[in-house]
Amino acid sequence: MSELLKVDGLDVSFHTYGRRLHVLKDVTLAIPQGGRVALIGETGSGKSVTSKAILGTLPGNAKIESGRILFKGDDVLAMPRGKRDALKGTAFSIIMQDPLSSFNPVFRIGRHLDDVMRFADLRLGNRSSTAERRQRIFEVLRKVQLADPERVCAAYPSQLSGGMRQRVLIALSLLHQPQLLIADEPGTALDVTTQDEIMKLINRLVAENGLSLLMITHNLGVVRQMADEIYVMRHGEIVEHGPLSEIFSRPRQAYTRQLIDAIPPLYGANVTDQEPAAGDAIVEIDGVSKVFEDRPLFGRGHRHVAVNDVSLAIRRGEVFGLAGESGSGKTTVARMIMGLIRASDGKLRIDGKPVEEQRGSAAFRRKIQIVYQNPGTSLNPKRTVGQTLRVPLAFAGMRGKAVEDRIRELLLQVDLPDHYVSKYPHELSGGQKQRVAIARALAADPEIIVLDEPTSALDVSVQKNVIALLTRLREELGLTYLFISHDLSLMRNFCSRIAIMLRGEIVEAGEPRQVFETPEHPYTRALIAAVPVISDEEEKRKPAVSDEDRRRYLVDTAA
Amino acid sequence: MAATETDFTNALTPRYMAWYSFTRNPTAIIGALMVISVVVLAVFAPLIAPYPEHVGAAVNFRARHAAPDWTYWLGTDKVGRDILTRVIFGFRISLLLVVGVLAIAVPIGSALGLLAGYFSGWTEKIITGFTNVMLAIPPLVMALAIGNVLEPNLVNAMIAITLLWWTWHARLVYRVSKSIASEDFVEAARLAGASHWHILTREILPNCISVISVKTTLDAAFVILFGATLSFLGLGVKPPTPDLGSMVADGRQFLPEMWWGVLAPGFAIFYATLGFNLLGDGLRDMFDVEV
Amino acid sequence: MTGASMQENYLQTFAKRIAGFIGVLFVLSLMIFVLARVVPGDPARIALGPSATQEQVDAMRLAMGLDEPVIKQYFAYIWNALHGDLGRSLISSRPVTREIAALLPATLELVIVTIVIMTLVAIPLGVVTARYRNSWIDNTGRFFSIVGVTMPSFLFAILLQLFAAYFLTDWPIIGRINHGLSPPVGPTGLLLVDSLVHGRLDVFTDAFQRVLFPALALAMSGIGQITRITRSAMIEHQRRDHVLTLQSFGVPDRVIVFSYLLKLSSIAPLTIMGLEFASLIGNAFVVELVFSWGGFASYGLEAILQKDLNAVMAVVLISGLFFIVANIVIDLILLVIDPRLRLKETN
Repeated sequence: MSELLKVDGLDVSFHTYGRRLHVLKDVTLAIPQGGRVALIGETGSGKSVTSKAILGTLPGNAKIESGRILFKGDDVLAMPRGKRDALKGTAFSIIMQDPLSSFNPVFRIGRHLDDVMRFADLRLGNRSSTAERRQRIFEVLRKVQLADPERVCAAYPSQLSGGMRQRVLIALSLLHQPQLLIADEPGTALDVTTQDEIMKLINRLVAENGLSLLMITHNLGVVRQMADEIYVMRHGEIVEHGPLSEIFSRPRQAYTRQLIDAIPPLYGANVTDQEPAAGDAIVEIDGVSKVFEDRPLFGRGHRHVAVNDVSLAIRRGEVFGLAGESGSGKTTVARMIMGLIRASDGKLRIDGKPVEEQRGSAAFRRKIQIVYQNPGTSLNPKRTVGQTLRVPLAFAGMRGKAVEDRIRELLLQVDLPDHYVSKYPHELSGGQKQRVAIARALAADPEIIVLDEPTSALDVSVQKNVIALLTRLREELGLTYLFISHDLSLMRNFCSRIAIMLRGEIVEAGEPRQVFETPEHPYTRALIAAVPVISDEEEKRKPAVSDEDRRRYLVDTAA
Repeated sequence: MAATETDFTNALTPRYMAWYSFTRNPTAIIGALMVISVVVLAVFAPLIAPYPEHVGAAVNFRARHAAPDWTYWLGTDKVGRDILTRVIFGFRISLLLVVGVLAIAVPIGSALGLLAGYFSGWTEKIITGFTNVMLAIPPLVMALAIGNVLEPNLVNAMIAITLLWWTWHARLVYRVSKSIASEDFVEAARLAGASHWHILTREILPNCISVISVKTTLDAAFVILFGATLSFLGLGVKPPTPDLGSMVADGRQFLPEMWWGVLAPGFAIFYATLGFNLLGDGLRDMFDVEV
Repeated sequence: MTGASMQENYLQTFAKRIAGFIGVLFVLSLMIFVLARVVPGDPARIALGPSATQEQVDAMRLAMGLDEPVIKQYFAYIWNALHGDLGRSLISSRPVTREIAALLPATLELVIVTIVIMTLVAIPLGVVTARYRNSWIDNTGRFFSIVGVTMPSFLFAILLQLFAAYFLTDWPIIGRINHGLSPPVGPTGLLLVDSLVHGRLDVFTDAFQRVLFPALALAMSGIGQITRITRSAMIEHQRRDHVLTLQSFGVPDRVIVFSYLLKLSSIAPLTIMGLEFASLIGNAFVVELVFSWGGFASYGLEAILQKDLNAVMAVVLISGLFFIVANIVIDLILLVIDPRLRLKETN
């Protein structure tokens, strides 16, 4: 196999605020003709910078210090601008990452596609008519399973679902039959089932058209399906590379091993079963619904049923997982339990007393606390860690030295050193911010903590530590967790009971072992089947999904 | 990529980045120097001005309408008073107006914006509704109307401008505080038992300070401009107090021959407004905020 | 989404804005009315002059309805205003609406030319300065925009006049038209249009020369603001992913800048232009004074200085109306440009 693309000793630095940051150090990688290569790494590892360097879309403050990028033996960095532009979309194409911001919101989808095709045609010396281009665009859109190309082209970006936009982005990269596809975290922003569909689509297109693929991702589960060869990147360097099977089974570097170990298993011997809690019910929800209505001054109002007739009970001391995709109503349920929004119908009780009677009371507030998903917005950037932690303590009536002592104790509990008291959020990493957020929730001595996807914004290795911390705190302090997430493999290991939500309703609930081994509801089966896993053994043990169910619950193209 | 970049810039403190942007921005520094010079001239006017006695109703008919020369650097006016002296003292009136207007309009506007952004419902509806009405009023027309209903003088000009000015701050602070109020940390503070007062003053306000200070600096320029326009139209400080706007209006009668009578005070106004504006622009880049 | 629901949303968005504007006008009228009634000094006395007897003033008060309760007076005022009657001038005792109607075309002409200049200069300047960011083009453009923002209109107007006086001695700088030319009358009242309708090129040339400098003076501050907003909107959008998408597929930079970015970046300056309209009307007072333009704003200034209350109220109301009409037009343009305003939020 000959090399289609070779990156050779690439050094790139960024210049910001008068400082030089060396972001790529001697990066070397090769993509063979027809090969599938994955570049994996955590946030800030430099994997996306590598793809931008190949494509020639580095930002203005970036400088290529040295190195070569050879496409079929020609150094693209040495090419004149015009010749290099001619490669774009025709020799190699990118599948972009974030689907909504990837399109100009005031132009129709069709206009984007047509302009890309028109200018690529011009560079190739073809003159094409609008009607002819339209034909070709429709063809490609059908290829990516967009059944109604006419409607897609006429739509504005905001009128399409995330999955549809991601498909259009794939179509964009296929307009001119490139030889190399570069996929930069495709589908990361999408729900797991949609992401699974997208991956299958890319895989099929690569196989059918004999393309080469460079897959850039942080998700090792995705890598297993999408690549034959792997490069692991860290701090701007390639730390390890080799065939997929070798890296996954016998990683040479400690860092790679750590990455693999950090991924919670879905099936197999390494799965942790949490003890079912024996306590009494602390949270009881009976037939709860929530309808959001807005009644504008003019025109028709909108009614949206966010939660429909949900009943569940959370026992003291357990980790209750509420799983579901975006818009399934899981966060709405949690906010009703916290008394932040009122239920439209049904009964909610905490400790046997209706939430409606307790909400707003000091005792209720102290009983139930929350840790948010996004560490970036859950801490006030203008307040130090100490100032943030002081608020709940002052509310609890603590004064003077007692406050300082308690703050020190809280930091100790979340494994942060004393002197972090005077740090501002911008001085902390994502994981550290999340620890401070946990400390704030603990400050009021709560009995229940709502964990709203507390690790989904973190890298896997950080996620593992935060989860370990949460587990330890629960044991030490006898807390009850309501864990909201879409990450099923994490929930399999962390929760003592889970409930699956779909479109505002609970479709299945039970202990994780039972739910994962013998899922009853077809949606649960589809959801589990879509989880990316890192071993063939796990893949085999996933439940089967019939085509009919897949169409019923997953395919969003008909939307 | 975006993620990598933020990760790297995380290593740089906000203070360092702000200071770096400010010092690499020559226009911001020039603006700062211009503002300082205006303030120094205004504060030490009696010590700096060459003919402090020309500030009042003095007459010096022998030198009336003298063109700029070594005795009178910027020439003299229709009764022979030194224009340079009167310009320097004119800065005092301008700055007095700025301080008077902004000292009232900024806190009131910011407070209302803060309240409207944090409390949804009727508080928000009433305050934003009222600001929107105020924005539809041509400010100069309204100020003229108010200024004339009252007696035309410095204090009334100040009142007229203040009555209109707070709306711009309210609007801006509303926009910022509204977005901050929806952040998780505000809800977290509320769940931790913080009072509304605490949330408004400790959680939200500190995040609005940079926007408010940039806007206030830019506003200083516009208040000077606005006050000068009012007095140019005859609704400002009464003679013989030296006021830049009315000096331009006075000098206009003797155009085009006695051009210095207009250009000197005219460019003095421009100098002050330009200074504040450049400084405000620099601060905006420094804090990286939308104003 | 079907075409029908999109249409409906279109209308709904727009109806909401109109309703808001009507509210604005209502509150504005209330404010100005209250203001006019708390004025020290009796409107009847102002109308009759200092030599009138108390009996005459009392009779006048009765005729003007000043002894009625204020609420009643207000509703009578609104009722009359809706019928095109804003009272009589206290000075000339002619109907205010008729006086203003005669002067409005002059100001309208000035404002329209100003807006044309503003758009033609500011948006291209904003685009070019953003495109060549930090080059000498950018620095020069930014310098001019900041001068535009910070220089008082009256100073700029006077500088233009001085310039003409010293260097363009034949250029007419005072008034709207050389009345010796006997300009044609109707149909629009806008000299630039009417002269063309009547085929009077001499009138057109004269009117055009005369409107150019005042319009330039009036446009200056708007040019500064809009250039700045356009530039920063362009720069802001340049960093976005959608630009990266097009760049990744080799769509030429000029297409990205002048088509994709320009449309997206024109939203912010258009919105600002609507708000700027309030200060534009204010500046018209100054510019009309300096150029002896004899329009609506000059009338307003005169009315204010003479405390002609009915005229002042009419001027403020009509200024507000001016602002509102301009903003409705801009809203319509924005609805066409920005599909997000027409589409329902789809979460």
